[in-house]
Amino acid sequence: MDEEASLPDDETLVRRTQNGDTRAFDALWQKYSPRIYSLIYNMTSNHEDANDLLLEIFSKAYRSINGFRGRSSFYTWIHAIAVNMTINFVKKRGRRVQMSLDDMDANVQNDKDFLELTATNTPLREVDLAELQKRLNEAMQKLSVEHRAVVTMFDIQGMPHAEIARILGVPEATVRSRLFYAHRQLQNYLEEFRKK
Amino acid sequence: MMLDEQQVQQLLRLKRFEQPPPGYFDQALQEFHRRQRAELLRRSALRIWWERTASGLFSLRVPNYAYGGAFAVFCVLAALVGSGVFNNLPPEPELASSSAVDSIAPGARAVAGRLTLNHKFEWADFERTARLRLAPSIAPSNTSLPRYVLDGRRPVSTEASFNF
Repeated sequence: MDEEASLPDDETLVRRTQNGDTRAFDALWQKYSPRIYSLIYNMTSNHEDANDLLLEIFSKAYRSINGFRGRSSFYTWIHAIAVNMTINFVKKRGRRVQMSLDDMDANVQNDKDFLELTATNTPLREVDLAELQKRLNEAMQKLSVEHRAVVTMFDIQGMPHAEIARILGVPEATVRSRLFYAHRQLQNYLEEFRKK
Repeated sequence: MMLDEQQVQQLLRLKRFEQPPPGYFDQALQEFHRRQRAELLRRSALRIWWERTASGLFSLRVPNYAYGGAFAVFCVLAALVGSGVFNNLPPEPELASSSAVDSIAPGARAVAGRLTLNHKFEWADFERTARLRLAPSIAPSNTSLPRYVLDGRRPVSTEASFNF
């Protein structure tokens, strides 16, 4: 986090990359790869696919960076590349989903949301962490890839509606309606799991 | 008891804790460098140049004033061509002293000569024909019908009369 704060701003890094400074692009990688990885991983539920796509996305960004004119932020630009490439990948992959999940960070045990969800009077009190993670990822995979993208960016990454709309190139109302629908779907899927 | 929307959102937020192994991003960066080097070796320099140029060109936004400028340039060029500035070239001395009919005659003779077996071929005639510049001339037509002027006091004019 400290390393990220000491980096020059995106505009400078992009300009330096356009002038052939590869270390500037490494700095952009350092800054954005965790977020882009998280986006891909949560859309694919597969670590290996996320790894391959991450490399492809940054390769594409590097090849196209001379065409980046700064009309949007670099953050929006690279997220748009990532979302589009991941949507294409997931559509090509079809229904053969094989989950390969990353481990949960041990810090989750201290998280406020986790503590609330596993309190004695909630429906999830008897579910252990691994089971919870598996259920949630299975539920996510039942959403369409467009809905999954919106849920990932809003609920998991905490992006505002306006930013998601810019990345996806859709109106904000579309983002809100997709979120509403996706939450409903997830509620239904998780309820089915709970009854089993 | 069903999960409400808030609980679903809380559950989703927990997915932030799903993390790749420590050191993953540094290793991935090294892999990225390795792939970039391999790609550079695979692709020709020309292709790399083309990709960079095309990427720059396709994202180029033409400012609105450029259209106005292009139109102005077009107008100036059209005016120059229309005014005949480029037609005022000095006449070639060879052609200036002779009429067009005389200039054509040797070439025509040469072409006709190629069709006969006993003709002595002269390359000079062909070269002269090739240099020939045909200049259009504007003159009153000899085929136009004569106009009769009924009122003898009025001057004869080539302008059409609208007094009937």
